[in-house]
Amino acid sequence: MAVKLLSETEKSFITYGVQDDFRSDGRSNIDYRPMELETDVVSHANGSARLRLANTDVLVGVKTEVDTPSPDNPGAGKIEFFVDCSANATPEFEGRGGEQLANSISNMMQRAYHSSQAFNLKQLCILDGKQCWKLYIDVLILECGGNLCDAVSLAVKAALFNTRIPFVKAALMDGGNVDLQLSDDPYDCKLLDVGSAPLLVTLCKIGEKCVVDPSAEEESCSVISLVVGVTGNPKNYCTPEESAKVAEGKAKCSAISMSGPGSVATKTLKDAINQGIVAAQSLDSALGHALLRERKENVTLKKHSYGFLK
Amino acid sequence: MPLDYRRFNGPEDSVSYKRFTKNYIRNYDEIHKELVNKNGVRKDGRAMDEARSLFARTDMVSQAKGSAYIEMKKTKVICSVFDPRETPHQNEFSQLGQLYCEVKLAPFSCPRQRRPHAPDAEERALSVALRQALEPAVCRHMFPNYQVDIFVLILEHDGSCLSAAINAAGLALADAAVPMYDIITACSVAIIGEHSFLDPSEEEEFVALMSPENTETNHGVITMSTLSELKQVSHFTQIGNLDVECVTNAIQTLEQECSKIVPNIQKVLVSSVTKCFKQKQRLDEEAKEREAELDAKMEEWKKKLKAG
Repeated sequence: MAVKLLSETEKSFITYGVQDDFRSDGRSNIDYRPMELETDVVSHANGSARLRLANTDVLVGVKTEVDTPSPDNPGAGKIEFFVDCSANATPEFEGRGGEQLANSISNMMQRAYHSSQAFNLKQLCILDGKQCWKLYIDVLILECGGNLCDAVSLAVKAALFNTRIPFVKAALMDGGNVDLQLSDDPYDCKLLDVGSAPLLVTLCKIGEKCVVDPSAEEESCSVISLVVGVTGNPKNYCTPEESAKVAEGKAKCSAISMSGPGSVATKTLKDAINQGIVAAQSLDSALGHALLRERKENVTLKKHSYGFLK
Repeated sequence: MPLDYRRFNGPEDSVSYKRFTKNYIRNYDEIHKELVNKNGVRKDGRAMDEARSLFARTDMVSQAKGSAYIEMKKTKVICSVFDPRETPHQNEFSQLGQLYCEVKLAPFSCPRQRRPHAPDAEERALSVALRQALEPAVCRHMFPNYQVDIFVLILEHDGSCLSAAINAAGLALADAAVPMYDIITACSVAIIGEHSFLDPSEEEEFVALMSPENTETNHGVITMSTLSELKQVSHFTQIGNLDVECVTNAIQTLEQECSKIVPNIQKVLVSSVTKCFKQKQRLDEEAKEREAELDAKMEEWKKKLKAG
């Protein structure tokens, strides 16, 4: 993470505050900072979202392309994550400075989306063994105010929810090759089923306690943080009429990893995983709520578009 | 990624011939059922909670400061650790020493595909994981502004290669006399449904990472490394989809298993130290003998000179 310079006194102020469940910006240890989310902000992408979590700013664009499926998995599509740390965020990211951070985030996302229970790649299949959709998920980090992993995962899920994949009208088999005919109408498209897509929750160990959503200052006080990827509940992402048909999804861990030079005791590790799951569940329902409201506004053409003006 | 044209890279779209064998076309359930029989015995004859026997030795690479070789049946790993050197390309002074880790899978190490020469995403992820695991174990304040290079080469990959790499690197660091807080050990577990395969083979890992048809089934691989004496977890990774109870149970078993490896590593270290000590004693004795011989010769010559 980008390093903030803090004096020893500032560090101990933050550390002791966390022990008493009181953080420097007035939150308790399990609170998130306020978020702003807007989907459909990039006109040339199939799906996009911009998420602002206090000072952290993330823009995600999803592009779809037609590809041939891998022979190991003929019935599944592909998904790939690219994270770009723009030097606008901090001068440290200039050149290849942000590469390590970007790699670790994209690696974590790829692993969290690995299981078909988290994100079913079968929905990206066009013709079994011949053609499939490949989703390129490009994440731009515009500003870096701590807790990048969580912000990225939220924005990615929102962008995937917003992604429209064109319908295939016809497929012609010409010898061994496939010719696809896609519809020109931009509204003639299908949406992805992203209800169970995972969210990442970073738990930062400061002193003896773990906090969610660390700010950049808090991140520099901690030596170890745990990132837990938790699958979402599909019920949160459908309207009340549809939800009767959708099965309740149980929150499961789809990926866990640690970052930072420190170590933790096993008990802290177990507690942190439980804390992460609780945080992810409330985050998931809040995200679902916001996305559904936005979609409804979109349908009734009442949506206010802010873009980058807000 | 620029290709290295001096090497023969092979056609990009070649596939392994195994794809066309009968074995390959089986569906998930068939492969899954084959892994364990009715009596709870695995394909290679182990019980579900039985780790593979471990062979470890030090002094594998004579040029390195410290080195180790670890073999768990068909998983074979070499690790070498080199002397601390000043951290290259660094402008600022760093209070803590750096660990530079590089994990390399030999081109022929994997059963499924040939590994490319250039490091791919998996190798880079392994290197990062290894550094993360080792950092809490090493007293990095002892060599500020210096870095220790740790290279791991996986000769054969038959599952649990990250835990084998961590075990080997811990042993090699101790052999290189890099100051450490504790002995570091690691272990993995693969979980498919209600079965959990301790110290999984490559096939078990592969099936555990495949997504089952049933959307409720737990599946995944967990690797954990611990400093047993300090009761600390230095690295923890999980892929797949598991519920919380499953993860907590796995943490318990992995913790026990990691502490089981410690006495073995200690034994290897003690034997390597005694070996070193004996060698030094022998060299000292030989040196003394030679000196005595020379002294005797000198006396003889002196006598001759006086006589002459």
